[in-house]
Amino acid sequence: MNSFIRIFMLLIIVIPLLGGCWNQRELTDLAFVMALGIDKGTGNEKYDVTFQVVVPANVASSQNGGSGGQGPPVVVYKSSGNNLTEASRRATKKIPRELYYSHTSIVVIGEDLAREGILGVLDALDRDPEFRTTTVVIIAKDRKAEDLISVITNLDKLPMNRFIKTLEATEAMLGENIKVTIDDLLQGITSSGKEPVISGFIMEGSTEKGTSPQNINTTKPPAMITADGLAVIRKGKLAGWLDYNNARGAVWLMNKMQGTDIDFNWNGIKDAVSTTPFLSNTKVAVSIKNGKPFANINIETAFKLSEINTDFDNEDPKKIEVLENRVSAQIKSEVESAIKQVQEYKADIFGFGENIHRNHPKIWGEIKHDWGNQFANMDYQINVKSYYRESGLRGKPFWSDLKK
Amino acid sequence: MEKAKISAKQLFVLVVLFEMGSAILVGFPLNLKQDAWVAVLLGMAMGVGLFFVYYRLFLYFPDLPLTSYLEKIIGKWPGRIMAYFYILYFAYLAARVLRDFGELLTSTIYTHTPLFFLMSLMIITNAYAIQKGFEVIARVGELFFVVVYLMAIGGFFLIIFSGLIHLENLKPVLESDWIQILKTTFKGTLTFPFGEMVVFTMLLPYLNQAKKAKLVCISGMILSGINFTIATIINITTLGIDLFMRSPYPLLSTISRIQLFNFIERLDVLFMIYLMIAGFIKVAIFYYAAVAGTASLFQFKDYRTISLPIGILILLTALMIASNYTEHIREGLDIVPIYLHWPLQIIVPCLLLVIAFFRNRRKQSKEAAS
Repeated sequence: MNSFIRIFMLLIIVIPLLGGCWNQRELTDLAFVMALGIDKGTGNEKYDVTFQVVVPANVASSQNGGSGGQGPPVVVYKSSGNNLTEASRRATKKIPRELYYSHTSIVVIGEDLAREGILGVLDALDRDPEFRTTTVVIIAKDRKAEDLISVITNLDKLPMNRFIKTLEATEAMLGENIKVTIDDLLQGITSSGKEPVISGFIMEGSTEKGTSPQNINTTKPPAMITADGLAVIRKGKLAGWLDYNNARGAVWLMNKMQGTDIDFNWNGIKDAVSTTPFLSNTKVAVSIKNGKPFANINIETAFKLSEINTDFDNEDPKKIEVLENRVSAQIKSEVESAIKQVQEYKADIFGFGENIHRNHPKIWGEIKHDWGNQFANMDYQINVKSYYRESGLRGKPFWSDLKK
Repeated sequence: MEKAKISAKQLFVLVVLFEMGSAILVGFPLNLKQDAWVAVLLGMAMGVGLFFVYYRLFLYFPDLPLTSYLEKIIGKWPGRIMAYFYILYFAYLAARVLRDFGELLTSTIYTHTPLFFLMSLMIITNAYAIQKGFEVIARVGELFFVVVYLMAIGGFFLIIFSGLIHLENLKPVLESDWIQILKTTFKGTLTFPFGEMVVFTMLLPYLNQAKKAKLVCISGMILSGINFTIATIINITTLGIDLFMRSPYPLLSTISRIQLFNFIERLDVLFMIYLMIAGFIKVAIFYYAAVAGTASLFQFKDYRTISLPIGILILLTALMIASNYTEHIREGLDIVPIYLHWPLQIIVPCLLLVIAFFRNRRKQSKEAAS
C-alpha cells in the first residue's frame, strides 16, 4: 500500500514535466517558409504576400541523387491582407500546414510597394520570435516580388539559396550589391543620421516558363534571377536606384568593398588593362566647414593586374605609377558620381550624419532636424590611394613579344 | 537555522551567478543608450559600498542571519515585524525572478505553453533543491559556474570572430548628462542587481571561514559587475543603440546574430541554457532566504516542513503580481526600486548599522567601566 502511494505520488510529480511538450509541433505539420514575397495589394487589401514553401520530399530525394523528386522543390502560395499577420493567417486556408518562419532566409519586396513605403511590413519581421532578423531583404526591380519568388532555379535546388548565394558571390567579386539584413535595414531606418540601401534583383525572361520544370530541365534556363542595382531608401520609401558604377561607388564609400574589377583603355584599345582591387578600407571624417558639413573621405585599396590585352610593360615602375593613379582616379570619379546621385535623393546612405553625431554630438543637435537638406548640399573631398601588388603567374604580357 | 557549511569558493560562485543572474537578461539600463555601461560600473561601485554596510552587520553577529539579529538590534517585537517584512521581500523577489524567467520563455520559444506550467516546473526543481539543503544549492552552483563560464567565453569569441562588434556604436561617449546617469544608477543598477546582495545577510553565517566573507563577496560582485559591463558593451556594439533600446532581451538578439562559416549559427540555445541556470540559482537563493527566515522567525524545528508551502506561495505570487509583461516590467523598473529596494536594501540596513554601532559602544563602555 505504502509503496503504491509512493509510486502514485511520483507519477503525479512527473505530470508537470509534460508541460515541456506543450509547444510540440510535428515536422509533418509544418510548412517551412523559405522565402517571403511582399507586394502592393492588387485588391482591397494593402499587401499581397507570397510564401515559398519547401516540399521536403522533392528536395531530399533529389539531393541523394535518387530517381524520386517528382515535381519542383518548392511550392508558392499567395494570400493578401492589410498586414503581414493577417495575410499569413489567411494563407492557412490554402496551405495544409502551419506556416513556420524559422528558416526563412529572404524577404523580397516588390518595387511598387517599395515606392509606397516599406515601413508597414518591418515590425512583423522584427518582432516575431520565429523570424530571424538576419534574414536578407531584397527588392524586386520593376517586378512583383511574386514573380521572383515563383521561379525555380538550377544549381541551387532551393530557389531562396539562389538569391543569397548570388548576392554573396557578386558582393565578393563585383561589389555592386551588398547583403542587407532586416537588422541593417531597421538600423538605417531608425537612425536619424543614416538611411539604408537594399540590393535589387531583376528577372530576365518569362515568368511562366520560370515556374515550370522547364526552367531546370535545360542548360539555358528561360528565366533567370539576376542581382541588379542598389535601392536607396529615404524615410522608408524607395527614393531611387544606383546602378553599375554608381552602385559600386556607394559600396566603396560604405566601406563594404570586398573585390571588383576596374578596366582602362590603353594604347587606344578599349578596356585593355583590367585590375582587380581585393583589399580596401574607407575612412570618413565629417566636420563642419564654413557652416556646412564637410566630409573628408580617404580610400585605400590594393589591386592586382588580372588581364593585359595590349603591350603594357607592367615591370616598369613608372608605368605602374601611372596605373595606380588611374585606378585611384577611376575610384574617385565613381565615388563622386555616387555621392552626387545620392545627394539628389537627399538620402544619407553613407551615414555622414551618424558620423557627425558620434564625433560632434553638440553640432549634431543643431542640424539633425534639417539633415536631408544639409546632406544634399554638403561638400566633400575624396582622396584615393591605390597600391599595385602583383600580376598573377606572368610578368610582361605576350603582346610585348608580338610587337617585335 | 540549518547546520550547513559552505566553503569560500562556493560562496564566491553563488555571488557571481546570483549577481549576473537575471540582470544580464533583463536588467540593462536602456534609457541611457550608449552610456548604459557607465551606469552599470557606477552601480557596481556603489553596490560594493553598500555591501560594506551588510558586512559590518555580519561582523556584529557572525552566527545569525538578518531575520534573527534584527530582534537583537531593534528589540523583540519591532525586530520580528521587520524580519517578517524581509521574508515577504525575499519571497516577492523570488516571485519576480520566476516571472522574468517564465515571461522570457513564453515570449521566445515556448510561445504556446502557459506561463503557469513553465514556472511550476522551475519551482518544483527549486523546492527539491531546498529540501536537500543549502549545501546542495552551493554545490550545484559550482557545477553551473563552469558551464556558464564556458558558454560565456565561447559566445564572446564567437561574437568577436563573427565581426559583429562595432565599437563606434559607443560614441558619442557620455552624451547623457551625469544627473540622468546617477538617477538611473540609483533607481536601476544599484538596486538591481547589486543591492540584492542584501539577501546574502541571510547566508553569510553558513560560510565556514567568516574571515573570508568580505574578500569573497566583494570579488564576486566585482567579477559579476565586470561581466555585466562587458555584456552591456557587447550588446550595444553589436545591436546598435536603436535595436538595443527596443529589445526586451538584448542578449538574446545579440546571440542570435552570431553567424560563422554558414555553419555556427542560431545559437539561441546557449542563451536558453544560461537562462535556466541563472533563473534556477537566483530563485533558489531568494526562496531559500525566505524559507530560512520563516523557519527562524516562527521557530520551526525543521525548515523543510515549510519549504513546499512557501514555494507554492511564490509560484502563485509570480502569477498574480502582474497581468502582463508590460505591467511586470514597469513595476520592476518604477515601483519596486523606490518602495521596496530603497527602504529594505539601503535605508533599513544603514539604520540598523547606526543603532548597532551605538549599542555596541555603550555595551563596550559599560564593560570598560565595570
